Amino acid sequence: MIYELQIALAIGAALFGVGLYGALSQTNLVMIIMGVELILAAALVNLVAFWRYLHPEVIPAQMFVLIIMAVMAVEMAVGFGIAIARFRSRGSVEMEEARELKG
Amino acid sequence: MSLILLVLLAPLAGAVLILSLRKFSEVTALAAIGISFAAAYGLLIAGFGGATSQLVLPGLPEMPLRLLATPLTALFSALVATVATFVLLYAVGYMRTDPEKPRFFATMLLFVTAMQALVLSGDWITMLAGWELIGFSSYLLIGFWYRRTGVASAATRAFIYTRSADLGLYIGIFVLIGASGTTEISATLTTTGPAAVIAGLLLLIAAIGKSAQVPLQDWLQRAMAGPTPVSALLHSATLVAAGAILLIRVAPMLPNEALLATGLVGGVTAVVAGLTALGERDLKRMLAASTSSQYGLMLVAIGAGVPIAALLHLIAHAAIKSSLFLGAGVFQHDRESTDFDALAGSGRARPKIFAAFTISALALAGIPPLAGFFSKDAIIAATLEAPGVIWLLPLALAGTVLTGAYMARALGLLWRGNAGSPAGNVVWMGTGIGVLVALVVVLGAGFAPLEKLLEAELGASILAMALGLGAALIGLTLGWFVPMPRLLGPVRPWAQRGFVVAGGFDALLLRPAMMIAQGCEALERRLYNGVLKFGRLNLVLGVFTRKSDERGIDAAIFAFVARTVAAGRKVRLLQSGFIHKQMGLTIIGTGVIIALLLVAPLFS
Amino acid sequence: MTIQVFFLAFFGGAAVWFGVVVFRTHSMVRSALALLFSQTAIGGMFLVMQAEFLGVLQIMMMATEMSVMAIFMVMFMMDPGGMGAMDMTHQKRLSLWAGAVGFAVALAAVVLGQWGPVALEVPSAEAQIEMLGIELMERSMFIFQSAGLTILTAMVAATMVALAPLKHGGKDDL
Repeated sequence: MIYELQIALAIGAALFGVGLYGALSQTNLVMIIMGVELILAAALVNLVAFWRYLHPEVIPAQMFVLIIMAVMAVEMAVGFGIAIARFRSRGSVEMEEARELKG
Repeated sequence: MSLILLVLLAPLAGAVLILSLRKFSEVTALAAIGISFAAAYGLLIAGFGGATSQLVLPGLPEMPLRLLATPLTALFSALVATVATFVLLYAVGYMRTDPEKPRFFATMLLFVTAMQALVLSGDWITMLAGWELIGFSSYLLIGFWYRRTGVASAATRAFIYTRSADLGLYIGIFVLIGASGTTEISATLTTTGPAAVIAGLLLLIAAIGKSAQVPLQDWLQRAMAGPTPVSALLHSATLVAAGAILLIRVAPMLPNEALLATGLVGGVTAVVAGLTALGERDLKRMLAASTSSQYGLMLVAIGAGVPIAALLHLIAHAAIKSSLFLGAGVFQHDRESTDFDALAGSGRARPKIFAAFTISALALAGIPPLAGFFSKDAIIAATLEAPGVIWLLPLALAGTVLTGAYMARALGLLWRGNAGSPAGNVVWMGTGIGVLVALVVVLGAGFAPLEKLLEAELGASILAMALGLGAALIGLTLGWFVPMPRLLGPVRPWAQRGFVVAGGFDALLLRPAMMIAQGCEALERRLYNGVLKFGRLNLVLGVFTRKSDERGIDAAIFAFVARTVAAGRKVRLLQSGFIHKQMGLTIIGTGVIIALLLVAPLFS
Repeated sequence: MTIQVFFLAFFGGAAVWFGVVVFRTHSMVRSALALLFSQTAIGGMFLVMQAEFLGVLQIMMMATEMSVMAIFMVMFMMDPGGMGAMDMTHQKRLSLWAGAVGFAVALAAVVLGQWGPVALEVPSAEAQIEMLGIELMERSMFIFQSAGLTILTAMVAATMVALAPLKHGGKDDL
């Protein structure tokens, strides 16, 4: 209890860092999505830690977590739909080859 | 009032018509001058009835233009109209074969208009305008045959000499207007004191110029380069009369000093010009010198204090001299020259014209009952009564003697010699001469009514009549019998050169005037070049502006555009199309915003 | 308390370690599985922090999702097995820096922040569920309804995007 909050928040910070590294450094679209998943998970960890250690009687915090989880799922679904479409048209989902929006 | 307008506008309209149509010039001229003649005599008859009419036209503020028809001015007007009519009649025949007739008649009509304006003027401005215009028309008419050698320079000389004396008129008028505060002539004649003396002397200078008195008598002889009708009209009866007319009109104002000066100038001129006339070898030049001499006698009369005598002599002289000139013109027509050697015997070839010539010559000398006798008599009587009788009487008598002498000489030269082949008929010219000579004969009878009209009766003086007649007869005899070199004696070389003193007016007036003119032309040329240089400078400025606009402003703008496009090209690199790069930029941007948000509270 | 701290630290460390493994391994399947374990560890953390509903939900959902993701990875990846030993990363320096800076800043905020007194009393699981249900029916009804609509739209959109283009005409009749 003494440092639990800080530990949890630190875990969340580390997850965020790793997720950020992954989202920026990967060439494949799916890997990028995985990085974004990690970032969102870090946010969830922070939220739950705040709920548990600062305001456990405020249930809307859990509501927030639920919503984020739902949105994560939807985001993945849409992301994979796009990946399929891209794979169909170009034959790969490598982001190194996706230069069509070059201006 | 409308008669005055008619007198002036008829010749003016005629001139305009001739200049615009260039045809029917003789008919138009005669019609115009006829109307003017009738109107002038209408004024004179009205004047006999004692009527005075006035025409006031708007002029400068407080200086309206007045045209006045008193008995005096109406008389002058009638005189001008008469001489003009018959000279123009004569000119129809004289200029018959000349191709530039329209210009001649138009200019003559213009001159008549100006002269009528001068004699009928009621204020100084109108008189000044008329004075200038008659000088200008004289220049145009003397130089009528400008293509002949020497004519243009003679006209220029005449114009410059008379013009130089006009300065006296200008300053005199300014003195009078300043002294009396109005431009009306009759009002200014009440000036007295030093202003009157100065004005009188200045007006005398103007009269010297216009009437060819000493020392400005030379221009009249040069003026003989023009056609003979011009000499008959301008240089015997009207233009040269302008000086005398001016002095007659201001005579009431002239104080004793001015009168004395006038008389002396007139007397000296009478003698000097008479000697010149005696020594002349050209008929027209002799008549010109004679005109100067006669006007000298008129000035003597004014100087003696009897302007009416001058007036009578003016009228008589007008008729006489114009008829003498017209006769000379007929002889010139025959022999194509006016030199006495060429004209020898031409009188014998045309007896009728010569008879008329003789009558006029005798009238001029002063033989009764011709007009000249009465006027000469009046002048000599006036000098007898004058304060300066010691000066004026001898000069007047000498003038009379010389008159007789040179006229008789002329008659002799014309008569003696070969008659040559018979000449053709001269209807127009003969008519003109005839009427004028008739006037010469009958005018003497008309002098008494004139004196009554002008309310200045002259008493008859037996002494004056005797002196005058005696002098005339002496002169005539000398002239006919004694050859000219013996008559003139030691004075002959001077007389033949026209009494030129110190290089004459050529050196005094003409050359300085021409030098000033040339200097003005050089100045103008320099100004013109300066303006051209300024224009070129502006052109250079314009080219410089254009170039700087192209190189400077356009280049700056295009460089700016180029740099913007280059910057855009560099920024384009950010738009790589790679998602990971975009995400990287997003993360960096978000980091910056968060940093700002964290730091902001420190500054609030 | 120390038990909870220990488990918290254990599950947290596992989550972080598996997260790192996701990006360090060459094999795609292993990557997906590592992510699965990471998410499960996070679910474990939730359970340790006495948010039972959320923890269970997390484990269940993430298990399903990661499986699906594994399938997709095999479908789309160039080298699913990871035997190719090709470097599949780019802009490594930037991402390393971004990750490190993000972690450092968050850590600084954690350490330097004044979080106040820590709560001791936590409602029981049943009470939490009951409160969640009431919350859902009262205040968050609108949120979930609109979220549901949005999710439906997203699903339809995703399906449409993933549909293969028609051979003839090429025009959809929707």
